[in-house]
Amino acid sequence: MSTQSAPQVALSSGGSARSIEQARLLRSLHIKNAIASSILWFITMLVAATFVAIIISLIWTGAPALTNLSFYGTGVQGIAPELFNTFYILILTELFLFPISLAAAIFLVEYSRQGRLTTIIHFAAETLAGVPSLVLGMFGFLVFSSDLHLSYSRLAGALTLLCLNFPLALRLFEDALSSVSRELHEGGLALGATRWHTIRTIVLPSALPGIITGLILTAGKIVGEAAALLFTMGLFNPANVFTLDPTLASDTLTTRLYYIKGVGAGSSGLTSSQETLLAAGISAVLILLLLLINIAARSVGRLIQRRLTAA
Amino acid sequence: MVHYSQRARLFDQVARGVCFFCAFLLVIVIIAVIIFISSKAFNVFFEPGGTNVRTFFTVDNWDPTGVNDPTGNGKPSFGAFGLILGSVVTTLGAMIIVTPFALGTAVYFTEMAPKWLVSILKPLIEIFTGIPSVVVGVLGLTLLVPFLTRVAAPLTGGLATAGYGWGAAILVLVIMVLPTTLSIAIDALHAVPQEVREASLSLGSTRWQMMSRAIIPAASTGLGTAVVLGLARAIGETLAVALVLQGNSLPQRLFSLTAFFQPNVNITMVIARDFGETSGVSQDAYWTLAFILLVISFLFICISRYLASRSVYK
Repeated sequence: MSTQSAPQVALSSGGSARSIEQARLLRSLHIKNAIASSILWFITMLVAATFVAIIISLIWTGAPALTNLSFYGTGVQGIAPELFNTFYILILTELFLFPISLAAAIFLVEYSRQGRLTTIIHFAAETLAGVPSLVLGMFGFLVFSSDLHLSYSRLAGALTLLCLNFPLALRLFEDALSSVSRELHEGGLALGATRWHTIRTIVLPSALPGIITGLILTAGKIVGEAAALLFTMGLFNPANVFTLDPTLASDTLTTRLYYIKGVGAGSSGLTSSQETLLAAGISAVLILLLLLINIAARSVGRLIQRRLTAA
Repeated sequence: MVHYSQRARLFDQVARGVCFFCAFLLVIVIIAVIIFISSKAFNVFFEPGGTNVRTFFTVDNWDPTGVNDPTGNGKPSFGAFGLILGSVVTTLGAMIIVTPFALGTAVYFTEMAPKWLVSILKPLIEIFTGIPSVVVGVLGLTLLVPFLTRVAAPLTGGLATAGYGWGAAILVLVIMVLPTTLSIAIDALHAVPQEVREASLSLGSTRWQMMSRAIIPAASTGLGTAVVLGLARAIGETLAVALVLQGNSLPQRLFSLTAFFQPNVNITMVIARDFGETSGVSQDAYWTLAFILLVISFLFICISRYLASRSVYK
């Protein structure tokens, strides 16, 4: 009996040692897992809370200005000219940006084969996207304002913004076009239509939701840009600011904000508290515009999609 | 019929040509940027009244128009060392803070976050990638700087201008760069196929083992790209940083903690503030600064492309 039980005891004690070890390992793994999870949770919550807090504090501090009627006027405390200029420059830039970058995206997605040419163009796009907007603003000053004699003008500003937003628009439109199903596209070609006919009648309508979303997202970038406009559009408005003349120098919401809190602080004809109030108001307007643009980009694409598929 | 199809084919050719031109415009623009900026970049080293390369990169005294010349003779000085150091310190400082936060949030967001959190965070990240830099700058100016003034009071002895400087610039940069880095990192993690996660979990690993031993190594090049592109964004960031730096040169005692809480300088701030009012040789000095920014951001783009070319999952 005893000779038989000895190995059994040894076995069971060895087994319990191993199971204790296993349990310890398991526990340490789960503890590590729990610690890591809670650290990651904490970091994420911190980031999200910071974002939310920034948006709330911008709107909160801007509220006194937003509820004041003279804030929307043409006086020194009003932002009517800047609002007008911001939308003017937005439309003028999109007039260049939208057709050019859509055509470029069509070439890359539909016409060209994957090869050296597309690699070069994509490399150019990435490099241009990495150029700081301030440096592109100086480039615009040199080429559009000086060499092309546009001086400080809305046209020079819009052309600079075209260079700045070209890579982003190209990528967004490329994504929209390449999401069109291959079969749909090849069906058109198989019916004997030319490429252009296929693009016009099949690819562009199917990609429309993505294209509109892309258009709205670039609009957000244009509204928020300031550094590229400092040396191409100037910081001041002429008397006849509410005209469509593209050769006028003018400021936008963002450059006005930089002027009253940056270079022009104390010399803008405003008291310090007025400056702070106006700056808070402009910040709130900008963040509200951005929120609006973001919501629009989400819902408009979906709306068009529903219309198209229902029809 | 034949006539019609010929016309259609001609149309196709024209459309192709126009589209090709538009795409090639991109190449023309970037080449023009490089040529125009580098054509002006070296003038300051050769023109009379300019400076030499050694002075430019080692002396901290930036006054190209000579208005701050202590002797009163209006003698310009072109020492950009302080500006370059400012850009390097703020960029690196910001990325040291951004990297753990962006990568941690990205991992939580892709692997563990509940649905409701994803639906809140996603639009937030999108909004903040496009937040105007001047808005963040003004926010830094009105909230952050007064706060830092109080925090740093024991260090600086209650200096009135304390609060401006590298410390504020780094924190403002964090807000500007974090969303970009975060969204690229999320894309990189999403690119890792679901099978990798399932394989790892089916071998009995915990979630953290799955993330740290399988997902993060698999996405490491993509995460590297996120950090590098964050650096590229940070070095070129202008107005947000300009509003909270507001200095004219490096502070007196550079190698102490107080240096972070005194008005300071970097490259983009002096360009934004002074470039518009200069001409001649003094303007050429600013073109050299622009060229430095261009070269640095180009290097970052090349590094990110190299990393992207080595990644397994795209």
